[in-house]
Amino acid sequence: MPSLLLAGIAAAPLSPYWLQPGLTIALGVMRRRHPDLFDRLSSLDDPTYLIDPVDLPLVFVLSLNPDHPQLSARRHGDGANTAATIRGPLMALIDLLQGRVDGDALFFSRALLIEGDVGAVVALRNAVESVEVDLLDDLLSVLGPLARPAGQAIRLGNSLLARAARDLAALHTAVLGPALRPPNKMED
Amino acid sequence: MTGAAAMELVCPAGTPASLKAAVASGADAVYLGFRDDTNARNFPGLNFSRAELEENLDYAHGRGCKIFLAVNTFPAAGDPGPWHRAVDDAAALGVDAIIVADIGLADYATRKHPNLRRHLSVQASASNPESIRFYQRSFGVKRVVLPRVLTIPEIAALNREIEVETEVFVFGGLCVMAEGRCSLSSYVTGQSPNTNGVCSPASHVQYTSEGDRLISRLGDFTINAFEEGEPAGYPTLCKGRFCAGGKTSYLFEEPTSLNAIGLLSELREAGVTGLKIEGRQRGKAYIAKVVKSFRDAIDAMERGEVIAPADLSSLTEGGENTTGAYERAWR
Repeated sequence: MPSLLLAGIAAAPLSPYWLQPGLTIALGVMRRRHPDLFDRLSSLDDPTYLIDPVDLPLVFVLSLNPDHPQLSARRHGDGANTAATIRGPLMALIDLLQGRVDGDALFFSRALLIEGDVGAVVALRNAVESVEVDLLDDLLSVLGPLARPAGQAIRLGNSLLARAARDLAALHTAVLGPALRPPNKMED
Repeated sequence: MTGAAAMELVCPAGTPASLKAAVASGADAVYLGFRDDTNARNFPGLNFSRAELEENLDYAHGRGCKIFLAVNTFPAAGDPGPWHRAVDDAAALGVDAIIVADIGLADYATRKHPNLRRHLSVQASASNPESIRFYQRSFGVKRVVLPRVLTIPEIAALNREIEVETEVFVFGGLCVMAEGRCSLSSYVTGQSPNTNGVCSPASHVQYTSEGDRLISRLGDFTINAFEEGEPAGYPTLCKGRFCAGGKTSYLFEEPTSLNAIGLLSELREAGVTGLKIEGRQRGKAYIAKVVKSFRDAIDAMERGEVIAPADLSSLTEGGENTTGAYERAWR
């Protein structure tokens, strides 16, 4: 997941205009690989959502019209004609999309805020929950035969990043630990 | 009925992905509903089509897991068709049991599909021997899901007097103690879990932020205001915080989830057969973690071991747990 998170953070300074091709491809992949998600929303009338990752200077407008789904990025949500807003940290939203956290639990903890048409939000949550989304696999699928080696490279990168983070934490503890101990412990 | 057989872990699924998570995490049985008014979790985007049920029946049965179909709302007056079709399709597809609450529907299932195993839903609110014997004698009910109103000694006494299996809730959301008879949601929204399969329907809920406060409204009523950092709960009227007698408080019940993972051996001693986890509306992450925790706890108990219960508080409503009526700690 660090690679996806880094990608999101790296994309933040970009103009939404430059993100559009990637977002269009991503939504196309979702539609192709997870048709059940769209099927579950078919009873709603053109559900459109404002997705607001609070730690990014961007918002996303997601329209799940079964015939013409659209995903676009904006600097802010003013003027967007959406039924509901879903607001939370980027990582929480990604975990929610991938079914790694429970939406109700995020709501109970106040990490997730929803406004507007709650029925549309519940429908989206249940539709997303009905499929097995793995963002990395989904996005890599556009590479065709290169998806497998690219996935291995990214997973290796993620593993190295995680290991580097652990090593840094260990180094931090080793260097600063003695200085942070209470005096009586230092005398042991 | 009392017996020493291993207890059955009965787990929720609102989607095929949740069903797979439940099976993978150790469910003995999964309960689910069709995508309509015939079950008590009729939420937008939730539940199974007939084709999804057929496909997932094979998946579950291939892994030794049973499927129970909840047809546990009360048929609309003059329009029993959808409920009858649900029972007919359940029989045709080969579910292991249906869970019903309405006596008319129980009668229909008994006459039309005598070999289809019938469980009595918690929505029927049968909590005494006379009532349970009536359902057994009239409709051949094999198992009763007990309302969440009984202490463990009361469940033990009940099991000594009846000849059907009992199933009890061990984790998840709680209702006020009037299951199958609660009209609070209907009073405010016109829809209730009893007939429409939905309590406090999402289409009638509104959340707004006022500074750091989260305000929840149901219909025309403000039902709660959560201060900054305060865990939130479901927007149901029974868990609203109201002003009465000059004091603001939870008049019916607090936003708290049932967790009886520490009472499994007592429930076994009381003769309980099924241990039910609430939450067909919850996500895969909830189902995987809760089911695995209870699977581990039950298996450890069967081996005669004691393990520390998993911390499930991050998944509970309001971040709080209670043992509810099982211990009646409020008395």
